[in-house]
Amino acid sequence: MTKITKEEILKIARMSYLDIHDDEIEPMTQQLEAVLSYAERVQEVARLVNEPSNKQMNVFREDVIVRTDVNPILDQAPDREGNFFVVPAIIDQKKK
Amino acid sequence: MKSLAFATISELQEKLQKKEISTQELLAFFIERFRTHDAGNINSALEVYDPEFILEQSAQHGSLAGIPGLIKDNISQNKCHLSCASKILEGFVASYDATAINRLKKNGALMIGRANMDEFAMGSSTETSAYVKTKNPWDTSRVPGGSSGGSAAAVAAGFVPWSLGSDTGGSVRQPAAFCGVVGLKPTYGLVSRLGLVAYGSSLDQIGVFTRTIRDNALVLSAIAGHDMRDSTSLCVEKKDYTQSLDVKLRDGLRIGVVDEALRFEGMDSDIVSAIEEGVKVFESLGAKIKHIELPTLSYSAAAYFILSRAEAASNLARFDGVRYGMRDMQAKTLSKMYADTRHDGFGSEVKSRIMVGNYVLSAGHSGQFYDNAKVVQNLIRHEFMQAFKDVDILIMPTHPAPAFKFGAFDVDKLQMDLQDYFTCPVNLAGIPALSIPCGLTKSKMPIGMQLIGPHVSEGLLYRTAYAYEQATPWHTMHPAGF
Repeated sequence: MTKITKEEILKIARMSYLDIHDDEIEPMTQQLEAVLSYAERVQEVARLVNEPSNKQMNVFREDVIVRTDVNPILDQAPDREGNFFVVPAIIDQKKK
Repeated sequence: MKSLAFATISELQEKLQKKEISTQELLAFFIERFRTHDAGNINSALEVYDPEFILEQSAQHGSLAGIPGLIKDNISQNKCHLSCASKILEGFVASYDATAINRLKKNGALMIGRANMDEFAMGSSTETSAYVKTKNPWDTSRVPGGSSGGSAAAVAAGFVPWSLGSDTGGSVRQPAAFCGVVGLKPTYGLVSRLGLVAYGSSLDQIGVFTRTIRDNALVLSAIAGHDMRDSTSLCVEKKDYTQSLDVKLRDGLRIGVVDEALRFEGMDSDIVSAIEEGVKVFESLGAKIKHIELPTLSYSAAAYFILSRAEAASNLARFDGVRYGMRDMQAKTLSKMYADTRHDGFGSEVKSRIMVGNYVLSAGHSGQFYDNAKVVQNLIRHEFMQAFKDVDILIMPTHPAPAFKFGAFDVDKLQMDLQDYFTCPVNLAGIPALSIPCGLTKSKMPIGMQLIGPHVSEGLLYRTAYAYEQATPWHTMHPAGF
């Protein structure tokens, strides 16, 4: 049975770049615990074998430049200046 | 005109060739069906395009010339909205065609609109769509299954003869079973994933919904084949899968019935009877029946939960409000903007899966969860390969119970996730499977039988299913009122 603390939930949310409101912590915890407690069973069989993972094969191709019109892509941006995406301040001024 | 709604692709093509109906008239007929039967009722489509636009996009000749189909809203169609049924992609317009769409257009198929789905393909009922709830045409108090619920419902109700969905753990086969239609999950890599919005990249495949096996083979033939722009695409030659159809089973065909699937706790008794009847049909058609054990089956869903959520957590990191989709404009800093945008843009199921994914990948937990899940994946793959030394095709139910009522799993979400129990092992192994209608429950809800084959055995799956279809009446049954 996987138990998850409030601190862990907040840590995972931070790692996931997900804001999580106070009233969402409890239902989120329950949902994670239910799925993870079920998923834990992979340990039971996994211990019995020692088979290495399948080797993945890389697929290569020539790195060729294909010219495309960037405007349809840049036009999707919520905020844009010329060929740049505009974002809010990266460093919080108040925390200086 | 009623007969057009449930006509096969070949029948529609014959009418077009004999000039009994024009392409424009046929398209108008299907658009009208969405207007009268879908909007505000079944809600299978998120959008139906203008006929002029639809006709401009596609070639006038080809194997699917003039035949309209509906596309799950996680597959890119150039110049069309692409939302994945999520708020976070509201207003996003695709700037290119998915390879599958490109090939359909070259073959003359008409993309009529976008199908509703579970948000980012996460769910088994299409209830997690941020936009609308799709109803099951057989009983509108029930879900159509998911995540490709819109695609399945539209084909079942005769709004289109074919549709595309995507299948990561059962998202084509389970809704196909719930809605009484044919659903194929191809071999991993047979259909290019270019332009399919990623959920679990190592498991995702675009799949096909139709009402008949021949139609399904026709659509697959148009979209399958190597694509150099998808590095996981298989180097297989293009082929016409309709050529493999035969009313007779292949000589000496051996079918394995997965016994523990039928003994699964909570298995609906009507489904067990229908599958057993189906096996008898195959026996009467000359198949040799064997009974097969897949001991790791009961661990597959656990492994699937871990791997799919882990991949989803990294795939969905790209939705951050910077380059496209919605953005929380109030946030004063970049990191707050990311977190607020993702809080408001994603629904609760998506957030929960991202959290589970990052948990099982995090330091201290990845050994217990992720690494063990990869071992279980190897085990189930190995068991399938061993089974295919003894038999040519495996039979399992597609689903443990028929389509359920809306909200049935609102409290116990784990039970909703376990809808994938019989379907996700197939994705873990990368092999193909076909769900075909094989009966109705006492309450007149469709039942699906899953035929599973080894890698790139789509031709054999189609041939086997076609012989069954020709010997049984299930594909001729449609929901009432359409």
